[in-house]
Amino acid sequence: MTDLSWTSVFFQLLLAAGGIIVFSVGAFVNNKPRNLLFSLAISAVLFAAGAAILIDGGRTPFFHMLDVGDYARFFNVLFALVAVFALFFSHEHAGLRQVAGDEFYGLMILAVLGMSLVAGATHWLVFFLGFEMLSLSFYILIAMRRDDPAGSEAALKYLIMGMVSSGFLAFGIAMFYAATGTIDMPIGLTAIKQPWSATGMLLSLGLILTAVGFKISLVPFHLWTPDVYQGAPTPITAFLTTGSKIAVFAGLLRILMLSSNWLWTRTVPVLWTLAAATLLIGSITALSQTRLKRLLAYSSVAQMGYAVMGALAIREDGGLSVIFYFAAYALMDMGAFGAIATLCTSPDSDLDELESYRGLGYSHPWQAALLTVCLLSLAGLPPTAGFIGKFMVFRSVLQAGYTVLAVIGIASAILSLFVYLKVIVVMFMKPTTDTVITSGFGPAARVAFAVILCGVLWAGVFPSPLQMLISRVITSISI
Amino acid sequence: MTIPFSHMLFIAILLFGMGAACAMTRKNLFMILIGVEIMLNAAGIGFVAASMRWMDMNGQVMTLFVMTVAAAEVAVALALIVCIRRRTGSTNADRFNLLKG
Repeated sequence: MTDLSWTSVFFQLLLAAGGIIVFSVGAFVNNKPRNLLFSLAISAVLFAAGAAILIDGGRTPFFHMLDVGDYARFFNVLFALVAVFALFFSHEHAGLRQVAGDEFYGLMILAVLGMSLVAGATHWLVFFLGFEMLSLSFYILIAMRRDDPAGSEAALKYLIMGMVSSGFLAFGIAMFYAATGTIDMPIGLTAIKQPWSATGMLLSLGLILTAVGFKISLVPFHLWTPDVYQGAPTPITAFLTTGSKIAVFAGLLRILMLSSNWLWTRTVPVLWTLAAATLLIGSITALSQTRLKRLLAYSSVAQMGYAVMGALAIREDGGLSVIFYFAAYALMDMGAFGAIATLCTSPDSDLDELESYRGLGYSHPWQAALLTVCLLSLAGLPPTAGFIGKFMVFRSVLQAGYTVLAVIGIASAILSLFVYLKVIVVMFMKPTTDTVITSGFGPAARVAFAVILCGVLWAGVFPSPLQMLISRVITSISI
Repeated sequence: MTIPFSHMLFIAILLFGMGAACAMTRKNLFMILIGVEIMLNAAGIGFVAASMRWMDMNGQVMTLFVMTVAAAEVAVALALIVCIRRRTGSTNADRFNLLKG
């Protein structure tokens, strides 16, 4: 065993402690003090982020199980940031809908802990436990409004998909262990011991890829996405689409980077097919959507296609592009869903039909501005972070020689441009509807709005500091 | 007498296939849950079998964790199903078609 430096896992410890404190306050203080719980949750996540920024755990994984180096630290800060935004957006939203109890805030903290375990795992046990911690928190968060039929139906769909995918993951890890004799990720991924274990290894990686594909909604496994995104409370949708997808993808990136050349050459065709299918089907189905949350759900499916495309170039400089893309994606998707979260037609129903967004640019200029910037960024137009992200991904894909895939990606980008422009046209170029829109637009949501707007534009105009940070982060993973 | 590794692996794969088929084709929510449980237990058998093969205890520890996680999952799933059953009076997965488009 290596040295027992507990400071290197301070991020995880602080989150666990924060979760327990929030649950205890909810259990022992009467009337569920909403503001106290909210500030406790925010400070737990912010302290944890501070710990992740300040404490460098070094290159040796904690007990050979959990990476505490730069790669994990970068993603931990990203998850904390996403969680803070989701908490800010959910403050008024949850208050209006009477769900702001200890379980709401506590589970959000535990979901961040699960994300950091998945992204930092160098051992399959930690990967499995993080995956489950993430999923279990989200099952409950989606079903938070027990009286809402759409919410519990969404939770049921996510639950069934999530449980099947964890079955695939557990069996995949069992096959991995049977083939290699170790549950350690870096050792196992490079070891091929006997002729038999080659088959077992491919079977295991296929099963694990299926489980991961469910979570990040790659195309044959994406069918749950629009239903769950539509039914879940909108801040939770924002958290789910950014945090959980980035965490699982960060784990996948680590698996791909660590795998031996033998394994990599056999994974490439599978990833190629998944990327092409995800890009095309995601953008084509988004075209016909009439509800904004479903439209964004399909668009987030297509966005994952770009990420997988970038992951194919990971042996060149694809890692840098994908991680930059994810940093941009976290901001823009969080902003788009966050803008929706602050709008509602009545205290318990979201503004969902695209038609009811007519003239939003004049009645609610702030929300419309944020939504527009985030949609332009999702479409990949300059001067936004999404443009730089897409540019970097396409550049590394072309450098790695996947020309056909890049053409498919460009076609998908053009198709999705129509989708996003359709929404912007509805908001600014049509007369206002009669739908009465109330907005839960409190101070917390305003702060999040401003930070996301600045972040998306700043990373689009001055991308080099972030690029330099990520290129340093990416070198820490090669073992 | 020891059971050969290939036999145990065969049983694990067979169970996993049966569980997956049950989870994907049955309409009743409880049968789906049972299917998932069988999938997770197949993984448990796989871990124990491999643990015997490699003479390594890690696999058996992993099985304990898989069992614990399965229990936690079922707790959440049953709570959700009870909540849904109370409101709609049905545990048929096809009845839930509110969200589509």
